Amino acid sequence: MTMTKRVLFSAMAAMSSLEAFCVARFPKPDFDSGYQYPDIEHPVPWENFWNILDIVLLTVMMGIVAWAIHKKESRKAIFCVSIISVLYFGFFRNGCVCSVGSLQNVVLAFTDPTYNLPWFVLLLFILPIVFTLIFGRVFCAGVCPLGALQEIVNIKNFRISRAVSQALSVIPWIYLGFAILYAATRSQFIICRFDPFIGIFRFGGDIGMIVFGITLLLLSMVVARPFCQFLCPYGALLSIFGKFAIKKMEVTRKGCINCTLCHNSCPVDALRPPYANKQKEERSAGVKRLIMYFLILPIITAACSFLVGLNSENLSRANKDVHLYDMIQAQEENPDMEMPMEVVAFHELGNSVDELAAKVDDIQKQFSIYSYIVGALIGFVIGIKLINLSVKRTRKTYEIDYSACVACGKCFDYCPQNMSPLTHSSRSAFFLRKASKDDKLAKNGGIHTEKTEKRAPYPPKEELIE
Amino acid sequence: MNKNKNISPIDRREFLKKCGTIIAGGTILGAGGLLAAKIKGKDADLFWQIDHELCTQCGRCETDCVLPVSAVKCFHANKVCGYCDLCGGYYRSSVKDLNTAAENMMCPTGAIARKFVEEPYFEYTIDEKLCNGCGKCVKGCGSFGNGSLYLQIQQDLCLNCNECQISKVCVSDAIKRVSKKNAYKLKESV
Repeated sequence: MTMTKRVLFSAMAAMSSLEAFCVARFPKPDFDSGYQYPDIEHPVPWENFWNILDIVLLTVMMGIVAWAIHKKESRKAIFCVSIISVLYFGFFRNGCVCSVGSLQNVVLAFTDPTYNLPWFVLLLFILPIVFTLIFGRVFCAGVCPLGALQEIVNIKNFRISRAVSQALSVIPWIYLGFAILYAATRSQFIICRFDPFIGIFRFGGDIGMIVFGITLLLLSMVVARPFCQFLCPYGALLSIFGKFAIKKMEVTRKGCINCTLCHNSCPVDALRPPYANKQKEERSAGVKRLIMYFLILPIITAACSFLVGLNSENLSRANKDVHLYDMIQAQEENPDMEMPMEVVAFHELGNSVDELAAKVDDIQKQFSIYSYIVGALIGFVIGIKLINLSVKRTRKTYEIDYSACVACGKCFDYCPQNMSPLTHSSRSAFFLRKASKDDKLAKNGGIHTEKTEKRAPYPPKEELIE
Repeated sequence: MNKNKNISPIDRREFLKKCGTIIAGGTILGAGGLLAAKIKGKDADLFWQIDHELCTQCGRCETDCVLPVSAVKCFHANKVCGYCDLCGGYYRSSVKDLNTAAENMMCPTGAIARKFVEEPYFEYTIDEKLCNGCGKCVKGCGSFGNGSLYLQIQQDLCLNCNECQISKVCVSDAIKRVSKKNAYKLKESV
């Protein structure tokens, strides 16, 4: 029977509550022919099975990626994981619930005591974070169907200027802030609403989002992972845990020879080139700078907090109840106006405007609190980013920026140090040729000139201010 | 720090990174533990369902579901039904001749079938494959009959989006997260 996969469900609904809504205009017929009421069963899918499979696959795939980047040092396994992820999590499971969206469920569980968080949603949220803290961003590498889809279609990698990419990298944090704001106030799940790839996985849905998704996919053919780099709020969260990862990946175990090849191969510009900080800073100047940072950071945080907090009323309009209240108010002011369906339904169900007004007041209070918090978060991140830009550190070799690195493993194949001695000369010659070609293509400043300039003898250890 | 030349900046940075790792790990453990304590096993809100007491049959279920044909279907509570010949959900309200010609049918997809039981009763059934959840019959039955027709989300069709698209546009906020126990809100009898 087809029912084997389904748990049959027959509910005994509470009769008392229903009486009011089933109007007995016609009496119950008394049949003479011995007619029996048919038994109708309503199936409930066997969600538990799929949820367990999701979690198992998620863990196994993250394990494979961790193995590939730490032990095997190869990209092949990661690419296979990407394809499986797109097929299973994307096209088969239709992309819901995903780890990126689970963030909002978790926030909702914190603020709404009536919401019962399913166990697997919590695992979907927490497992990638745990793996990231141990192994680096292995979830982003290929387990996340959104990242994997962009990775698969990527052909060419034109580098965005660092100034632009740094400025854009604030967007995920702003997105994260607003996602928290709207989830915490039980208004909307904006990450789900503006998910660009869900329409592609489902072959349907909101046409605007599908167009956006296709545009992003076309863009990701030439610029690697535009969604991951400049939009993904969960990626922003993971970047912190990636930065403090316990086991950090290395391009090669044999020591960097400063050949720039890994830098050229990196799709997310996570490999920072060697840099000689020639400007000697006085100790007192350094201390002054540090004090300035500690002063400026709270100022930026407070400014952003106020900026968002003052707009909390406008932000609250995205809440359904607030929107409904606004519509009712507009209707009362202008009775000739055609009544929106929401207002008609509101009056039809006999709800009271005063109750709604009280509710709206409550929601707006919540919005006010949360928007100050979210504003502070955004301001803090902007402040930290600005401080990071002003800190100059000496790097003797190419170093991985672990908060940006998505552990895709593309650098392994490019590093000449990773090659066996037999193929070493021929393959490195090939890659060096390729690199010089890449340099001609790279419009924003020749990498080679930069390299020769920065490979000059390094000054001895300098005093650096944290 | 400058006085002691043995402490190099790299060591300090390592120390700060270790601190960061410990803080991050602690945050995970703390948040994870807090949330794990909140989980109530079987009561988890896994599904979306329509509360038919709030439903006003606005018709958005038909148009706003992410599926090509909405997962919202019309359910029929036989024990509430009056088995009338002149059914408000079956016929349009202003029919000329009371026959089963297509122009007289309320259902735009022909999903409602009826079978003669005995004089004067007819048994009505919904073909869920044809139903598109427009709710026209529900409105008809609610205004002229016993209200035995009502809209529900068919759980084996529903994709279980993290946020239901129709719940966002529902005019009366009738679509809510429900647990497996309450996966359907059925009308059983009057």
